[in-house]
Amino acid sequence: MKVSVFGCELTGLVTAGALAHAGNDVLSLPVGYVKVEDLNANRLPREEPGLNSLIAQQKDEGRLHFESDWAKGIAHGDVLILSTPSWRMDRAEAVIKLIGETVKTDVLVVNQSTFPIGTADRFEAKLKLALAERGVVVKVAVVAMPDFISEGSAIENFMRPDRIVLGGTDKAALKVMRDLMRPFNRMTDQIKVMSTRAAEYTKYAVNALLATRISLINELANNAEHFNIDFEEVRQGLGSDKRIGFSYLYPGCGFGGPSFAADVKSLVGTLQGKGYDADLLRTVLSNNETQKEVLFRKAWRFFDNDLRGIKIGVWGLSFKPNTATVENAPSLKALEAFVAQGAEVVAYDPTACADFMKHWGDRKGVTLVDDMYSVLDGVDALVILTEWKMFWSPDFKQMKQLMRQPVIFDGRNIFEPDLLEDKGFRYFAVGRGEIV
Amino acid sequence: MGVELSAAWLALQELAGSQAGQVHMKQLFAEDERRSARYSLQVDDLFLDYSKNRIQSSVMDGLFALAEQQKLEDWIGRLVSGDKVNDTEDRPALHTALRVRGEAHVSGFAAQVQPEVRQQFVKMTQIVNKMRAGHWRGYSGKPITDVVNIGVGGSDLGPLMVTHALQTQTSPLNLHFISSIDGTQTSNLLKCLNQETTLFVLASKSFSTIDTLSNAETAKDWLEERISNPATIMAQHFIGVSTKPDMMTQWGIPPENQLLFWDWVGGRYSMWSAIGFPIALKVGMEGFYQMLEGAGLMDQHFASAPLAENMPVLMGLIDIWNINFLNINAKAILPYDARLKYLPSYFEQLVMESNGKSVNREGEAVSYKTCPILWGEVGPNAQHAFYQLLHQGTQGVMCDFIAPIERDDYDASSHSHKNESLRYQHRLALANCFAQSRVLMLGDAAIPESLQASFNTPFKHYAGNQPSNTLLMKTISPKTLGMLVALYEHKTFVESVIWEINPFDQWGVELGKLIAKETYQAMQEPALVDGFDCSTAGLLNKVKGL
Repeated sequence: MKVSVFGCELTGLVTAGALAHAGNDVLSLPVGYVKVEDLNANRLPREEPGLNSLIAQQKDEGRLHFESDWAKGIAHGDVLILSTPSWRMDRAEAVIKLIGETVKTDVLVVNQSTFPIGTADRFEAKLKLALAERGVVVKVAVVAMPDFISEGSAIENFMRPDRIVLGGTDKAALKVMRDLMRPFNRMTDQIKVMSTRAAEYTKYAVNALLATRISLINELANNAEHFNIDFEEVRQGLGSDKRIGFSYLYPGCGFGGPSFAADVKSLVGTLQGKGYDADLLRTVLSNNETQKEVLFRKAWRFFDNDLRGIKIGVWGLSFKPNTATVENAPSLKALEAFVAQGAEVVAYDPTACADFMKHWGDRKGVTLVDDMYSVLDGVDALVILTEWKMFWSPDFKQMKQLMRQPVIFDGRNIFEPDLLEDKGFRYFAVGRGEIV
Repeated sequence: MGVELSAAWLALQELAGSQAGQVHMKQLFAEDERRSARYSLQVDDLFLDYSKNRIQSSVMDGLFALAEQQKLEDWIGRLVSGDKVNDTEDRPALHTALRVRGEAHVSGFAAQVQPEVRQQFVKMTQIVNKMRAGHWRGYSGKPITDVVNIGVGGSDLGPLMVTHALQTQTSPLNLHFISSIDGTQTSNLLKCLNQETTLFVLASKSFSTIDTLSNAETAKDWLEERISNPATIMAQHFIGVSTKPDMMTQWGIPPENQLLFWDWVGGRYSMWSAIGFPIALKVGMEGFYQMLEGAGLMDQHFASAPLAENMPVLMGLIDIWNINFLNINAKAILPYDARLKYLPSYFEQLVMESNGKSVNREGEAVSYKTCPILWGEVGPNAQHAFYQLLHQGTQGVMCDFIAPIERDDYDASSHSHKNESLRYQHRLALANCFAQSRVLMLGDAAIPESLQASFNTPFKHYAGNQPSNTLLMKTISPKTLGMLVALYEHKTFVESVIWEINPFDQWGVELGKLIAKETYQAMQEPALVDGFDCSTAGLLNKVKGL
């Protein structure tokens, strides 16, 4: 099948790569600042495990091409996929406008972007109006296919999805989409067909539910500390309940990222703007912002409300492992809090340093180093914000030698409190370890 | 010889008994189309129309002669340069020195104090910025979100009035005010606050005010419910503002949490000092400085404009005419915007605590009226309350109508429903403001001809001839509020100069405080009740056993 994918951010590139991999003839078109030259040179805007090799391979095999001329993309695709970031609605509108102005044959548009509920219907109406004005009589359908991919496991999420949600009523269009997604729908039928609005809302609802679950777990873990309870034991008890399950059950120092947190915020914004209830979700979000400072608060109490001259080492800046992104990450808030109190911060992250500096700007107080042990030189405490695998089994002996005080604040619960105590560390985690 | 026997005073008395004092304002307006142009004045963002007063050129000339005779201009110079104009307390009254901004010229003691004034503002800036950025932390590490100002009188009314007036500006902090000694405000407020995120500002010039200290103790007890380390309570949850660093230290507030001002700042003139800390928390230091600049503008105007074009002088002299020569003993402050709700209370304190006196600077009883009774309310609300008395009562009342010309809380170019209704309501409020002053001036003459028949009964008779000023502010902003308050401070000073009284002391409020202590003891020890008059003893017996 001939497919054009508008948008070369993570979702767009994964979609284009995976569809080419399945044998389709795919044209991938940037809609924002991404340049075709960079894509052709394999300089991708996002770091994502496996993405570079997937793209390179499909390009080499001739099934994936990059193109800057949208008109060519519109002419090329039997299916036109919109895959822009949620904050680039203007670019999606521009693509729709051009389709309306130029298309001559039946048109099937698939929207993957997370836009406000009702956008797919609105796009369809716009296209129909534009075509009617031009006197072009063709069939038009806009299908919603929200993306459920997560950074760090995006390719896996697309190729072996938990489910594929298709929102639309046009039988012919849905048939085309079933066919397009067939290679990723092998074991059992994972396709859920629903109305476009329901599909759009499902995306928001999934994120809202996960965010709520995380914030609730965080609150339960924080409070477990007051009763001197190791929340890890509770987590086992909770997860083994079939109604609850184990996923998204780890407490931590808050969620972030460019889409997950932003989508929940956007939903709350939409609901409040219309005067609908969003009390719970609002609380979820504000709890999460507070949780981003949970380690700062522990350190604040540990150092008796005075962090002036205290040196803090930080492991991990990205909002989760295997990504180079710090958008909405706890690191931004936590480091600002430390620096504002006069602490000196030295930080390491395997990939996210550049993005961190972009957000941090020319503010002082943070030094970035390129080795996880260099962080520890003379620090009064280590703060762990991202659970990169390399942090899980460090050389504790070396750590203790380097640190001025063997104190660890762990926002991802990657260590065992007993073990750390044996090794002579003061260990404070979320719902675990010592209480301060 | 008192001023009441002076040539200028007697001349005015004679005028008051003549046509100049008797003529109805409707006639003055009918005779002079240019009256409003003649009797109005613009100073930067403030416009004053004082034409609706029972004045004419002979009266104004007489008033200026009185001002000159009383050496008003000398007194203004003495005030702003820092002479000890507060003679009973042997100190200057240098609130103007707090609002010297930029390159403005000052001399004398006012110049000497500038370095320490600036030093306190630098410290205040650091604390304000830290708090507004969410980096002032409570004991548990959460940012302070709620700030409670505990103060009374001058340590309460200014910040309360200004922060309420600037409510349309969004602030990262919630501000609360506790003043009353009875504890109700405190206990109600504390129910809604969290110790982790609450900070108290103890604002007291003397740091010995029982009202403030008793509320502070209650606040401290409340914090102790959750915080075991007393040093943490003081370091993270209290800031002190006072002229008495030793007393603050003794109470437990560490020096880095102390903001200072000086005995030459009167309590009711202190919102320009660190007492204005809550204002700066509300609008940032930038906004606070704009307020000081607004007041500074008025100071310069007051110190340099000729008497006949000097807004505070004009307002003060017209008050003198009304009070001492037309025998009007009441003044109403009528803001036509609910944001100015606390302005009447603020002016009540400023004016009545300053000039509510009956002894001149020589210690002799005066034989003329001084400060009138001043009260007020948001105008549109007051229209449904005491305006009846203004229109048909037996009292002469001077009114000050105060209103913003523009609202700054909607987008002027937008025609959204919300904006349109705000605009509509703002116009309605202004229309009411202008209508009321017009009817107070004209009386029956304001009744349209077509309706005259229906007003032809004694119960619908409007005498009119009630004097008023109308003050229009460009908008309600830190700058215009600074100008407005400085205007009233100075016009109050002008009146004190004419009356030969010291407006900067307040001995009248001291005795009651002293006797309250004695009375409190009697409540503890019933045996002491016998020493009281039978009424007080009876009341004490009523509350025995509390």
